[in-house]
Amino acid sequence: MAALISLMIAIPLLGAIITFLTRTREQARSIALLTSGLSLVISLILFSRFDSSISTIQFGESYPWIASLGVSLKFGLDGIGMPLVLLSNIVIPLTVLFAWGETKQANQFYGLILLELVGVLGVFTSLDFFVFYIFWEIVLIPMYFLISIWGGPRKDYSAIKFFIYTHVASLVMLLAIFSLYFNAWQVSGVPNFDMFYLLKNYSVIESPLLKDAIFLALLFGFLVKMPAVPFHTWLPDAHVEAPTAGSVILAALLLKMGGYGLFRVILPILPFSGSPGKLISLMAIIGVLSILYGTFLALAQRDLKKMVAYSSISHMGYVTLGAAALIPLSVSGAMFQQFSHGLITAVLFMSCGVIQHSAGTRIIHDLGGIAKHMPKLAFLMLAGFLASLGLPGMSGFIAEFLILVNSYFTLPTFVILALFGIVFTAGYHLWAMQRAVFGTYNEKLGHIHDGADYGIASMAILVLLIIFFGLNPNPVLTMMTTNANQLLNFVVLRGVIT
Amino acid sequence: MSLYTYLLISAIIFAIGAYGIITQRSGIKILMCIELLLNSANLNLVAFSSFNGNATGQVFAIFSIAIAAAEAAIGFAILVALFRVRDTINLDNINILRW
Amino acid sequence: MFSDYAALIVLLPVIAFVLTLFLGKKLPHGGAYLPIAAIAGSFIISLGTFLEIYPTDGIVQQSMPWFAGMNLGILIDPLAVVMLMMVSFVSLLIHIYAVGYMSHDPAKPRYFAETSLFTAAMLSVILSDNILQFFISWELVGLCSFLLIGFWYHKPSAAAAAKKAFLVTRVGDVMFLAGIVLLYVNMSEIITSRAFSVGPENFILQFKTMFEAIPLINPTQLTYITLLFFGGAIGKSGQFPLHGWLPDAMEGPTTVSALIHAATMVTAGVYLVARTFPMFAATPATLSAGVPDSLLIVAYVGGFTALFAATMGLVMNDIKRVLAYSTVSQLGYMMLALGTAGAVVGAQAVGISMFHLISHAFFKALLFLCAGSVIHAVGTNDIREMGGLFGKMKITGTTMFIAALALAGIGIPFINIGTAGFFSKDMIIEKAFEYGELKGDFIPYAFAIIAALLTSIYIFRLWFMAFTGKPRSERHSHESPGVMTRPLMILALFALFFGFAHLGFYDYLNKNFELMTGEKAALEGESLQMSPIIVLLPVIVGVLGLLISYAIYHRRMLDMSKLVSTQNPLYKLLLNRYYEPKIGADIIGVKLTHDVVAQSGEFVDRKIIDGLVIDNIIGNTLFKLGEFVRKLQTGVVQNYASVTILGIGLLIIILRIKFGGT
Repeated sequence: MAALISLMIAIPLLGAIITFLTRTREQARSIALLTSGLSLVISLILFSRFDSSISTIQFGESYPWIASLGVSLKFGLDGIGMPLVLLSNIVIPLTVLFAWGETKQANQFYGLILLELVGVLGVFTSLDFFVFYIFWEIVLIPMYFLISIWGGPRKDYSAIKFFIYTHVASLVMLLAIFSLYFNAWQVSGVPNFDMFYLLKNYSVIESPLLKDAIFLALLFGFLVKMPAVPFHTWLPDAHVEAPTAGSVILAALLLKMGGYGLFRVILPILPFSGSPGKLISLMAIIGVLSILYGTFLALAQRDLKKMVAYSSISHMGYVTLGAAALIPLSVSGAMFQQFSHGLITAVLFMSCGVIQHSAGTRIIHDLGGIAKHMPKLAFLMLAGFLASLGLPGMSGFIAEFLILVNSYFTLPTFVILALFGIVFTAGYHLWAMQRAVFGTYNEKLGHIHDGADYGIASMAILVLLIIFFGLNPNPVLTMMTTNANQLLNFVVLRGVIT
Repeated sequence: MSLYTYLLISAIIFAIGAYGIITQRSGIKILMCIELLLNSANLNLVAFSSFNGNATGQVFAIFSIAIAAAEAAIGFAILVALFRVRDTINLDNINILRW
Repeated sequence: MFSDYAALIVLLPVIAFVLTLFLGKKLPHGGAYLPIAAIAGSFIISLGTFLEIYPTDGIVQQSMPWFAGMNLGILIDPLAVVMLMMVSFVSLLIHIYAVGYMSHDPAKPRYFAETSLFTAAMLSVILSDNILQFFISWELVGLCSFLLIGFWYHKPSAAAAAKKAFLVTRVGDVMFLAGIVLLYVNMSEIITSRAFSVGPENFILQFKTMFEAIPLINPTQLTYITLLFFGGAIGKSGQFPLHGWLPDAMEGPTTVSALIHAATMVTAGVYLVARTFPMFAATPATLSAGVPDSLLIVAYVGGFTALFAATMGLVMNDIKRVLAYSTVSQLGYMMLALGTAGAVVGAQAVGISMFHLISHAFFKALLFLCAGSVIHAVGTNDIREMGGLFGKMKITGTTMFIAALALAGIGIPFINIGTAGFFSKDMIIEKAFEYGELKGDFIPYAFAIIAALLTSIYIFRLWFMAFTGKPRSERHSHESPGVMTRPLMILALFALFFGFAHLGFYDYLNKNFELMTGEKAALEGESLQMSPIIVLLPVIVGVLGLLISYAIYHRRMLDMSKLVSTQNPLYKLLLNRYYEPKIGADIIGVKLTHDVVAQSGEFVDRKIIDGLVIDNIIGNTLFKLGEFVRKLQTGVVQNYASVTILGIGLLIIILRIKFGGT
């Protein structure tokens, strides 16, 4: 039973091709659900066979590709990638289920969603920088089309903005990858794009300036994707215009690529950079800035979806902060935050989608009392909002608790600042709930219906998962901790922190 | 005659052709100048071939003449078509693809 | 045998929650019997556990690892077991009462599911053996409170009150969380430095580990930790300045007010301080000689709140709001007890405070349920529209009078006969006096005794206005059904007679922190020399308050219309609740946070980052560059050809110069 990972990537790819060729909506969505479901099954098999106690790569696969450039198709999973692979495979089938009623160019719509799955799975499993970059770029294109074809009124502006921002960031990252590649080539005389090999050879670079430049270029590439303040403005625009399925994928999976990059690429080379101390502070500042800035901006929004978009920025700030703290448990907390935020934000964007669909607006002031006619939605949305504001018993709390508690060892001031954000986080969530969902029903909305059953079902599954991982984080947290320990062993040895 | 003479003649023809391409506005004249450029190259090929005792150059020249004929035919056809639509073959006026 | 099933104390109501939520619609009374049965089960197990551990002074400990070195566990010691019994018992009675009270509400399943979840969370707070589980349950309790205040979510005021409650307590919760962060960091530094070890059986945030490590924690840090914990308690127990949410929380059903916002949840803050009392008592005394800093602050905040809230209780016209301010005030007494008595008798303060907590739970739940019965009958909350109800509602009237007597602390000193409040509250006031004598600081005592007078006045004002005189409106009223009056009678019995358990109670609770004796031994002689007037004073002010209210509100001997008018600035200040809603919600919440900070953030985002930097600087520069480069592309082939030829020519010349040749 080897080659499970490539099978997991190949099935949705095949599914995407078939989906594009189908004629009817029924065929398209059934194939999309079937193939993404198969991919989920494979990832569950992988998950059940995964050994959480070792930090090395498991299920490794390697196929030669472009030998003259040292490129090969290498895949494998460790505690950093496994949870995100699982997350991707949970979110995509549920998104397909949620978007079961899509009518506009359905075959292309579901095909693009499957392509997104291919892209993110590739990113989270590739161990060859060249292949990693290809998948990284593959993710952009379907998202561009999802926004620009199925988007809202300003879809062209948003799609282009999304594309330019993330593409510029990818190119900067590509430059850094090349410079790592040529550096390693120079040292050993053999071209090789292997990720760990290149990262290991980072320490050989002599000029501290070049080291810092490479580091910053990689960091920039990942932070734009996350997105971190001040490179975030593409996100709210993209979310506001994107169709719900697009938003869910964007927030739940695409943002995670940035965080993944932090753990996979940034942390291993951080101790070897030219000026680690300054770079750590930089990351911590960006993290806290994102937390607070995202929170306050969310408070200022009138559009429910835009508010959720800013809350994503705020939550991803915790990932940066946890990574910058360089404590094993804070780093595993940051990894868990990625996983948990993927589940939570999917519920939030789905709620926005259902409201938009039923009530025809997402502007908080124009809504009001919709719980009266949409009780199921109100219940699930409340659960999602509570999870998002960090209610204990749900997965978000575990992540934020681990990050805050453990980051205090190295970054006490930043943690205190981040704590201030918590009250306001609760503030905007509850304010939105109170205005939009509770209170007297706004009769101007006419008679509205509750969300469709498939949409409600996929939200309910997500909420159950959020509660499950909030009560029992161990299934994914253990493997994260194993890998975080291994990452940080390295760091402590280098004496970056004591 | 030495090889040098051939090359000199070829260079002169080339310069005339290049000058024509740059200065002329009429499509026909430009096409004719392009023919000049091609023929200067052909002359070079034949000259080198003859002096080196190697027939490859001659073969190339024949290829080149055949392609030039085809190219000229297409070029003139385009110009004729253009003339029918725009009543001119002055290339300065053909600028719909320009910013 | 019961103690082996201690986990069921929490799990039974959780199961009831799930079942009621999904099946409630199909069951009679909205599935009310499921939570009632579950909570009865919890009560029986709690009682059984108590009977099991009481004779041997034992404790129950169960623990299992959770994530990242944390654990989930159960700790039932004397402190926990009395709370468990009280909470499950009061909750049980209120659930039974609610069957009648909520009988007309269409959303009964949701109501009973939520109260059941609340009970589970509250019980979990009580028997947590570690501070993290405590915090998690604490937050869930807050969630249920949020849900239940907003139970009638279609009412805008209820939705707003729910939000306010959650946000204000959240401020406290963040402090509590910060305290946990600080504690964790200190603990783990102690463990890393090998001064202290944790094994597989004790976990880093367990109470017993924490208490053992107290001497090793840096004293200043300990003060910070305890004060941050107390910040959480301030939020949850509605102490000044985070008290504003509690009166607003009365938007929920009255049963909710009785259960959550009077008897149980709001006492969680007091319970937190009691639970971590060894840490509070170990803080250094820098502000006042011989008084640990944290206890001093607890005493002052509690004492001030007791008085501050009582003043507002005097003027409120909503029956539930009067009771809400009364709750805030009484919680202040409990804090005051922990602070002052903690400074003079050490850990015995926990017993004193907890006794008031439990007797308060009985009579305050009773007061609320009576208020609910009145509201159910009259259909209004406004006491100005009531009057003369005693004739029609004898049971409610009598039981409420008993509760009022208990709240006012009426009893006969020296022969020790009196209501529950008489024993519990007078003990607190006496300890405050003792504290004054010993530490030379009578301010807490002054707070306590003045608040006692005001308490008596406002509660009898309420009673006389509602039950005596002539009906002031045309409302039809009737006595409530038996399912509602029977819990009233049971609670009234407790409000009357629970006080007699005080000596046994103090003894039992003193065993809780046997490691801590405080200065008790040295002080026993002095505490006996209290003059009779001091012992009598609490009762005197209680009776005085009753007489004042009787004179004003029943006999109408004084004309209050001058005082009670918006012309009177003091009355206006009190009626507007010291402008706390205005300052909190309007100025801090809306104006400062939303209008200033958030909107300026929005401005920065849209105009500066997006507008100036992205659009103008980066965008325009690139655009202008493009414009310029575009001009070079003339589209005239000849231009390109000339440039090409020129370029080739230059290239040839350069190559010639560089490499020479013929």
